[in-house]
Amino acid sequence: MPAITPGKFGKFGGKFVPETLIACLKELEAEFNWALQDPEFQDELEIAFGDYVGRETPLCFAERLTNHYKNKDGQGPEIFLKREDLNHCGAHKLNNAIAQTMIAKRMGMKSVVAATGAGQHRVATAAACAKLSLECTVFMGTSDMEKQSSNVLLMKLLGTEVKGVEGNFKDASSQAIREWVGNLQTTYYLTGTIVGPHPCPSMVREFQSVIGKETRRQAMEKWGGKPDVLLACVGSGSNALGIFHEFIGDEDVRLIGVEAAGFGLDSGKHAATLARGEVGVYHGAMSYLLQDEEGQIIGPHSIGVGLEYPGVSPELSFLKDTGRAEFYSATDEEAVEAYKRLSRIEGIIPSLEASHALAFLEKLCPTLPSGTKVIVNCSGRGDKDAATVLNYQQYSM
Amino acid sequence: MWQRPDSYGRFGKFGGKYVPETLMHALSELESTFNSLKDDPDFQNELAGILKDYVGRETPLYFSERLTEHYRHPNGEGPHIYLKREDLNHTGAHKINNAIGQVFLAKHLGKKRIIAETGAGQHGVATATVCARFGLQCLTYMGAQDMERQALNVFRMRLLDAEVRAVHSRTATLKDATSEAIRDWVANVETTHYILGSVAGPYPYPMMVREKEAMEKWGGKPDVLVACVGEGSDAMGLFDDFIKDKDVRLIGVEAAGLGLDSGKHAATLTKGEVGVLHGTMSYLLQDDDGQIIEPHSISAGLDYPGVGPEHSFLKEKGRAEYYSVTDEEALEAFKRLSRLEGIIPALETSHALAYLEKLSPTLANGTKVVVNCSGRGDKDVQTAIKYLKV
Repeated sequence: MPAITPGKFGKFGGKFVPETLIACLKELEAEFNWALQDPEFQDELEIAFGDYVGRETPLCFAERLTNHYKNKDGQGPEIFLKREDLNHCGAHKLNNAIAQTMIAKRMGMKSVVAATGAGQHRVATAAACAKLSLECTVFMGTSDMEKQSSNVLLMKLLGTEVKGVEGNFKDASSQAIREWVGNLQTTYYLTGTIVGPHPCPSMVREFQSVIGKETRRQAMEKWGGKPDVLLACVGSGSNALGIFHEFIGDEDVRLIGVEAAGFGLDSGKHAATLARGEVGVYHGAMSYLLQDEEGQIIGPHSIGVGLEYPGVSPELSFLKDTGRAEFYSATDEEAVEAYKRLSRIEGIIPSLEASHALAFLEKLCPTLPSGTKVIVNCSGRGDKDAATVLNYQQYSM
Repeated sequence: MWQRPDSYGRFGKFGGKYVPETLMHALSELESTFNSLKDDPDFQNELAGILKDYVGRETPLYFSERLTEHYRHPNGEGPHIYLKREDLNHTGAHKINNAIGQVFLAKHLGKKRIIAETGAGQHGVATATVCARFGLQCLTYMGAQDMERQALNVFRMRLLDAEVRAVHSRTATLKDATSEAIRDWVANVETTHYILGSVAGPYPYPMMVREKEAMEKWGGKPDVLVACVGEGSDAMGLFDDFIKDKDVRLIGVEAAGLGLDSGKHAATLTKGEVGVLHGTMSYLLQDDDGQIIEPHSISAGLDYPGVGPEHSFLKEKGRAEYYSVTDEEALEAFKRLSRLEGIIPALETSHALAYLEKLSPTLANGTKVVVNCSGRGDKDVQTAIKYLKV
């Protein structure tokens, strides 16, 4: 489903930004398009993906998980995991961070600022900047800094300056943008989420789409066909689009996104934007978002910090409205169960974000015919979440 | 000369099987199964599949541009530094390769129960991981003191459905946990396999740096291989394929802790003597009464008073060189790689990286150096931050 206008997905997307930024975004778009066509950039990116990030990531048959979902007659779907947890920095985030940092370097930028996205994007950005010797400044809400203190330590070790902003991520983003606008010649604003004004969502999607491209090839190698179902968690949507995008034109491949239902969709404490949100403009793009009757953004909640975002990718909003993709949600409790389940029966500790996708298998598998090929995007590893799960267990006891 | 090991499990005078009678049969069984499976294509294919899809092999050989630049002389000359990215393995270290190989063997032997000992928890986590994957019962012995210091690793092992049993005897650390594990094995040898490091038993495999990886990158062999040495399985994995290549220098780097003269280190090959520990003859840190000296290193994985017998043999024959670096030098190297390459190395790995400071100025221009980046350092961030005051 190609967009008629670049950056627009039906009515979603666009560039709702102040005048000062329009020229900047145009320059970024031009640079991005040039990089896509430039064989030298593509070669360099391939080497970075291969040797630095550690791609391609395996498509791993989850034998014991498959057995777990077999019914009494021994029938059930076959579950595969796309192992984005094995990337350097432990999540899919680096795919985008390294590519964008390379673009920043090409543009002659000296420094990078970042704010949006959860800890993993910031760590990936810090790593990429260290490697390409760009200065890196990350803005974080002071309350988030406390909650994610180990991520803050990691960033500092990698040479990044972490600046605290009174408030939460919203305030941090605004500060980062202010910093960017004040230094447009030398500073690159590195977006990690697949939201924001055009060309940001397209850039992030392009670099994450390596996941889907590899998946197609690997599925062909493994069973000579395509996947039947792709399952991914949805925060802003970068890992979901990363695996979905390649298959959007394949109508026989079901695309399922799983959002964070937090304490439950009716509790008011969740991050299920596509389930409960309304259309509006946020961070420069038109998309679904969690807003109250006065148009104020509702603070989201999820035990998976990376899913705690009140907006969502405009492209995913489009896929929902056209019915091309289906969206469901999983609660904190269901995600923690899934976290423990995969650890116990496959020896893979998934991130709490990825655990939301894994949680949905409980509802999905009984509905699938025997032998259905299901690929779950294991978007990150969960070592970072061990303390959270430990606390959650102790608290709930 | 390089038949490794011989039929008695010896490397020269080192190695062997100094174990209770009850274990001799188990060890023979293990060995003969290992030898028969080595050449079995079905087994090899299955193992290769797991290593690829589950562990994430093969790991890349990464040209470390900024580190290479860092070691360039003012005239622009210097060695080329490459990192073998074992940090990218599932669970973040080389340890899982050994665990997979051994659990595979155990399955073929029909064992249902796996035991292991662990110090800081990395080996325990790797073992628990593989047992979860294959549905085998897993029990890890851990010193009670270590359990307190490594609560998060204990939680990880339990998440992976392993039982973590506290050992309270004596110093309540790794050495005592090992003794307890051996005792368990003696009592339950019919049903149980004990996951060993490189100290005794079958070889850690698969071999890591295949010659062809280096050949693909620059059409030749590495000139120098550098790896940290604790008990030595990680280093052996890197060295193994090149032992017969005399033009490839093999360098092992041990932990000098607070300094070689401080008495607080784990530099077994530099300061140790030959003796028997945990079933094998090798260099070890012992006092005049033959009592094991408590080792020290800031990195838990190198905090071991013994070393694999093959390293002892390579040292004696002069085929490999062994040096050491202090805690402080390792911490500097930890910070250096983080800042220059955005890769946070394990503190163990940092010892190998630290040695580049002394090594690089001595190398001819363009020398190809491959450092074994044996593990990632997320687990060490809290420790490092305390010392580095970042």
